[in-house]
Amino acid sequence: MRVRLGASTVVFVLAAFLVAAGPHLLAIPAWLGVFVLAGVAWRGAAEFRGWRPPGRLVRIGVTFLGLGLVIAAYGTLWGRRAATALLCVMLASKLLEMYRLRDGRMVAALSFFLVATQFLFSQRLELVVWLLAACWLATIALLRIQRDEDAPRAGTGSATAPVRSTIRGAAAMMLLALPFALVLFVLFPRLASPLWGLPEEALDGRTGLSDEMSVGEIASLFEDDSPAFRVTFQGEPPPRSELYWRGPVLWRFDGRTWTRVFYVNQAPERVPDVGPGALRYTVQIEPTERRWLFALDHPARWPDRTRVSMAFELLRDEPLTALTPYDVISQPDFVDTPTLLPLYRNLALDLPEDSNPRTRRYARELRERFPDDDAALIGEVLRWFNEGPFYYSLDTAPLGRHGADEFLFDLRTGYCEYYASAFAVLMRHAGIPTRVVTGYQGGYWQAADEYLLVRNSDAHAWNEVWLEGRGWTRVDPTSAVSPTRILDGARSALPGAGGWLSADWAFQLRNQYDRLQHLWNRWVLGFDADRQESMLRRLGLQTLGLAGQAALMVAAILLLAPLAWWLRGLLAGARRTPDPLVRAWRRVEQRLGRAGPSRRAHETVREWMPRAAATLQNRDELLALADRYQRLRYGPDPADAAIRTFVERCRRWRPRFR
Amino acid sequence: MSSHASSSVRRFPEAVRQRFARWLDGALRRRGPIDPPLTLRYRQVFILPTAFGWMIALLLHGMLLGSLNFNNSMGLLTTFLLACLGLLSMHLAFRNLEGIRVEAVHVRPVFAGQAVDVHIELAEAAGRPRLGIVCRRPGSADGEGVDLEANATAVARLALATERRGRLPVGRLRIRTRQPLGLFEAWSWVDSRATVRVWPRPADRPPPPPWTAASRPSSRPGDESDEFHGLRPWREGDPVHRIAWKASQRHDQLLARQFTRPERGRIVFRLDQVPATDLEDRLSILCRWILDAERDGLRYGLELGAWQTAPDHGEPHLRRCLDALADHP
Repeated sequence: MRVRLGASTVVFVLAAFLVAAGPHLLAIPAWLGVFVLAGVAWRGAAEFRGWRPPGRLVRIGVTFLGLGLVIAAYGTLWGRRAATALLCVMLASKLLEMYRLRDGRMVAALSFFLVATQFLFSQRLELVVWLLAACWLATIALLRIQRDEDAPRAGTGSATAPVRSTIRGAAAMMLLALPFALVLFVLFPRLASPLWGLPEEALDGRTGLSDEMSVGEIASLFEDDSPAFRVTFQGEPPPRSELYWRGPVLWRFDGRTWTRVFYVNQAPERVPDVGPGALRYTVQIEPTERRWLFALDHPARWPDRTRVSMAFELLRDEPLTALTPYDVISQPDFVDTPTLLPLYRNLALDLPEDSNPRTRRYARELRERFPDDDAALIGEVLRWFNEGPFYYSLDTAPLGRHGADEFLFDLRTGYCEYYASAFAVLMRHAGIPTRVVTGYQGGYWQAADEYLLVRNSDAHAWNEVWLEGRGWTRVDPTSAVSPTRILDGARSALPGAGGWLSADWAFQLRNQYDRLQHLWNRWVLGFDADRQESMLRRLGLQTLGLAGQAALMVAAILLLAPLAWWLRGLLAGARRTPDPLVRAWRRVEQRLGRAGPSRRAHETVREWMPRAAATLQNRDELLALADRYQRLRYGPDPADAAIRTFVERCRRWRPRFR
Repeated sequence: MSSHASSSVRRFPEAVRQRFARWLDGALRRRGPIDPPLTLRYRQVFILPTAFGWMIALLLHGMLLGSLNFNNSMGLLTTFLLACLGLLSMHLAFRNLEGIRVEAVHVRPVFAGQAVDVHIELAEAAGRPRLGIVCRRPGSADGEGVDLEANATAVARLALATERRGRLPVGRLRIRTRQPLGLFEAWSWVDSRATVRVWPRPADRPPPPPWTAASRPSSRPGDESDEFHGLRPWREGDPVHRIAWKASQRHDQLLARQFTRPERGRIVFRLDQVPATDLEDRLSILCRWILDAERDGLRYGLELGAWQTAPDHGEPHLRRCLDALADHP
């Protein structure tokens, strides 16, 4: 092609790319972001300084440099984050040689693709705004490129189409395309089950709980205010103190880290019957890229494609890569494992050798005071926690080899993980089988929409001890120290602990916003094959089948066409005449036309006046306006002040009909 | 897209190509008139994706499959939005061309080797502006785009390369648009049936004109003793003392003074007198002689076999002679 990209076109292509890549740039390592920004900056500067494209060797070198940086950052090109980072980097190096129209088109088109890849990571509501903005910019870029190709160049030698008209044109196109896109969204047949799964290596589990617990790890979650999941209950929700959302259950302790054991992966010997008092609820879990589902004790019915372990953990078959709804029924009063097999007893009593001597001594002491009564022993420990100088705080010191000793006898300040871990060590030394349960506790009750919002900052760890005749029983040592943590959430347990905690209005605002997000999740993101089918069924279209649904879709689009036509007419009508006099006068005519006699196409203002004025009370005003209009419009060139006065009078004027 | 298609057409054997052209001609004419003046109607406007359009389609396909597989609602929304933008651009491309009126196709004769400047008069009557209308002839480069205002006229231009003298049919013209997004190309065919005369290329180094019996030796361009006539670019062979140095400096090229006699000579150029063997060369040389004679203000005549014209001078006479050279069998 003989034509090069114009300067304003380059600016729009760069803007489209930058906006499309924006959320990716925030997520990838900083030096990759710098690489991408450098590419954009170079191309921008080149346009205004008139730099020529760099030589072939430089371009190839830069491309391989980008490739190397991505590999250095991720160790692989496999995986969504690495792949999108690679796409960003490659497009940035493409910018170096983006001089021809086709290069510009390539970048603009892949900007659309870049937008779509972002939704592999997050589909939050606010991204809709970004989606529209990015698509708009890319459309402007494509429009400009086509203008560069086709615009008359006689004389000036460069395309000089007005920028504002392309911006408006792109907006109009978006506006016209959106209704059709929405119809497709609702009616396009969805897949009931995926054609292929995402290999687990491609994931980069990033949010939420991991399936092991090193003391001090959950603290990072307390800062994370993002939603973990939302729950809607059938019937009354249980009291807050019962909202223990059970996640990974940890058995093995190596002195620092609690981990799961694979022995418990087998199914439970018996599952609860659904009786009175059963809790029925639906959880919408945000993508975590792990396989854990969270439920209240003890899940009796769980969704398909999910395994339940001996410890009543729910494990999905595939990682959660999208917002996933699931239904659970839980039975709170259930005796879990009335008889404990020796294998599990040993697992639940196992401790590393030669650690925590003071804890061991204290446990032996307790055992002597309560030789047979485990419950009393536990009660004594909780009383000690409650009455002794124990504090709940996020500011803690790291623990050494004898972590439990240090915590119980020296530090005595910590949060749930510290208490759960130390408590478990103490119990095991006392010969009581104990395990650590991680998950979430509590949540924020959105009263208006009746759902419970559980944030990552609600992450919690507690214990379960095995008692004769009562099976595994929940004990939360943290609640003994800081009951408010359990009753009012992590926020309230730490008054003034940090900036984000104290900003109450911001917290409220976020909660309000989450209600929108919840609706969005339910009605838009959660719209899958099932939802689609039930929607169609509600419309009485259950027997359609795939072909029928496709036909319905086409029909709906055809029906929508007249609407689009009307919208287009509206947009075209909005294309305003440059003459302010005509615009002002048209407004007068429109106001009259709504109720009075509108002017016919062949009528002049003067001819129309008698008919129009006849219906009015304030006819004299109209006649004066009309007279003035004709004098200004067809008389000698009017003064600006006169035009302004006339426009102002037209704006004020309202017809008063008889 | 179109350039690929036409280049592959050109590679076909000539017989197949002609057959295809004839078939296309018939097919087009069955859809409506294709001679201007005509209005491009629904059935005469064709539309296909461009290469870029196909690329976007492929991209959309990938986005759709990926989003469907993971039931990624926002991904689907993006896909559908882009797809609808694409379909809209198809509609807009079609509407951008449909309803345009092709009033006429104008051409002016040129010398062989020069490009014919084809002017296509377009008129907009549907009351909406049309942007980026481009004309091209299959096998030659694109013309420049024109923008048509609502209810206005404009001239689309197209350069047509020429090689040989003679009559060149302008042939079928493709009027196309790729607005707004470049995803689709809508096009229509117009066959003006116009032909353009291509005059012979003026010979670069013509032999000196042979003076016929009718011309006296003194009737050649005058010398310094004569009346000053004007300036012309200096050519090799001009005496050095005729160079107008001062004027040359002003015009950045060497200019030679010309002198004529008030009483001009009368020359008749005859084809069979031209000292060359090849007919085309001889016509070329004649062309140059005629041009020189016209420039020098001589009265000249021309004899091309049966075709003759009496010595005369002036623009119409020159045109008549050049046309005769172009039309010479």
